[in-house]
Amino acid sequence: MKKLRLTVRTRSFVEGYFFISLWIAGFFLFMAVPLGRSIYYSFQELKMNTGRMTAEFVGLEHYRYAFTVDIDFMPILISTIKTVLIQVPLILIFAMFCALLLNKPMRGRLFFRGVYFLPVIVASGNSLKRLTEQGAATLPIFKQYDLYTIMLNYIPEQLLTPLLTMMDSLMIVMWGSGVQIIIFMAGLQSIPVSLYEAAKCDGATPWEVFWKITFPMMMPMILVSTLFTIVDSFTKVDNQMIKYNWTLMFNKLSFGYASAIGWIYFAFVFLVIFIVLFMFRNTSALAQERR
Amino acid sequence: MKEVHNPALQGGRLTLFRWMGATDSWQNAMVKRGNELLWKVFRYVVVFSLAFVFIYPMLFLVSQSLMRAEDISDATVQWIPKGFSLENFIFAINAMGYWSHLKNSVLMAFGGAFLQLIGCSIAGYGFARYNFPGYRIWISLLLLTFLVPPQSIIVPLFLFFSDLNWRDTYYPFLVPALFGHGLRGSLFVLVFMQTFRGLPHQLEEAARIDGAGAFRTFVSVMLPLARPAILVVFLFSIVWHWNDTFFPDFYLNQDKDYTLNQKLGYLAITNQIDSTGEEAQKSDDAIAQLPTNYQKIMAGALITILPLLILYLFTQRYFVESVERTGIAGD
Repeated sequence: MKKLRLTVRTRSFVEGYFFISLWIAGFFLFMAVPLGRSIYYSFQELKMNTGRMTAEFVGLEHYRYAFTVDIDFMPILISTIKTVLIQVPLILIFAMFCALLLNKPMRGRLFFRGVYFLPVIVASGNSLKRLTEQGAATLPIFKQYDLYTIMLNYIPEQLLTPLLTMMDSLMIVMWGSGVQIIIFMAGLQSIPVSLYEAAKCDGATPWEVFWKITFPMMMPMILVSTLFTIVDSFTKVDNQMIKYNWTLMFNKLSFGYASAIGWIYFAFVFLVIFIVLFMFRNTSALAQERR
Repeated sequence: MKEVHNPALQGGRLTLFRWMGATDSWQNAMVKRGNELLWKVFRYVVVFSLAFVFIYPMLFLVSQSLMRAEDISDATVQWIPKGFSLENFIFAINAMGYWSHLKNSVLMAFGGAFLQLIGCSIAGYGFARYNFPGYRIWISLLLLTFLVPPQSIIVPLFLFFSDLNWRDTYYPFLVPALFGHGLRGSLFVLVFMQTFRGLPHQLEEAARIDGAGAFRTFVSVMLPLARPAILVVFLFSIVWHWNDTFFPDFYLNQDKDYTLNQKLGYLAITNQIDSTGEEAQKSDDAIAQLPTNYQKIMAGALITILPLLILYLFTQRYFVESVERTGIAGD
């Protein structure tokens, strides 16, 4: 009996590692080793000499340079983080709104779903960049009808300007929320109908139903899409910080400094992610338990 | 919620009560119906206007790319050009070397997606179904891989691939994909893991009792059941590979190897330089010259994403359905 259990365990061990061994090998080759090397590079001055790389240890020099000498770095870092922190909640709220809209039975639901996922296909890459250059990514109403001057009569300027910049990025927000809409819709489908029926019997209003049933039940999906949105917007190619890093690497060929900058940026991204995980700590505990 | 216990509201009985002169409940019902109608109209308006916002850039792209030089300088033309011509498309196809670069894009996107499908499904199955010593460590490393921005490891990866002489080849996209990494590979591993977790154990047990080995069980029993996840991963992977310019810009530096999206970037750059160059030479023609080039770039942008749009058109129906069944969100 004891021997049999042991074999089952060994078998599970061998088979489990058999399945993930490829991934583990990939992890070392394409993640762990590069990650370690990039930390190492960030303490080095790397120079390209006729195709060969020479390294010279400089310690924390790059980090000191980034914070004290480089006048471009800090403003870019701060503005990038600010944009991301504004956009992420907007994307999540908008995606939730769309998912709730599309979840109700209605005529042509399939068509609308197809349209709402369109951004997933188009929204990344050069095509969108070309469109933004052409001004297609800002809603035409705000320019055409001189809405700014009209609104200025009612809203003080200090409030209006940030509001309009938000509206300006609305298109970007809407176009960046395709995947999140999908995640939320899948989540909405997984909530058991019986909960809604029970709430209806107890006479709950739709508002109460949303906050007491839908929202708590969606918590794991909200966590997943928050993480996805953060990672996605921090690593987007049209992100200022990423662009700056790219310039450093390819136009100035300073690989060591680029690595250091990458690590500072990465540290901030991780800080944001940890704050999010901390805020959602009950949810992840729940998910662990359920497993 | 006064009306809830009112029998007059129970569907078909409404007309009966109306004829019986039950005015009070009849009014209640009308108010409720009115509210419902209003709510419905409101919802349709919102859904329609949002759909318009999503389609608007596409319409813009199509309309602009069909415009000729005369249409742009014509103030009466806003959306629909007066004559039909494909000159912008012909220009873009020639300038971008469309067909050969389309081949590159297809090779990279479909190849990468296919290999990612293999690598990620195997890893996802291992993570979903087996409990072995070290499981917790590996799963947290999987999550870490998901969170690490690829930009922070791009320098060592670039040097690594250069050492292997893989620059100007497609190996940097294809090989990590086979290992279950590559472009957002860890996300796909998580999707597969979630899907396999949701499948019943009985089928596997039956297969094992019938004498199938672990891998055989995976390939011929579990993988067919994970069809929704396969579709989702395959489509997403193709789209993300296709639209990516960050990694191709690193690894592919020969004109013959460029993907369509890279080529589109160069088309835009060269045309802008041309127009400003001509602006310096003959300034009165510059105004007519500048927008014409934009129409060509728009045409280029449209034909770049056209294959994806066609693919999406055919798979859209299954795609939406399978997303719901994948449990991407899971817990």
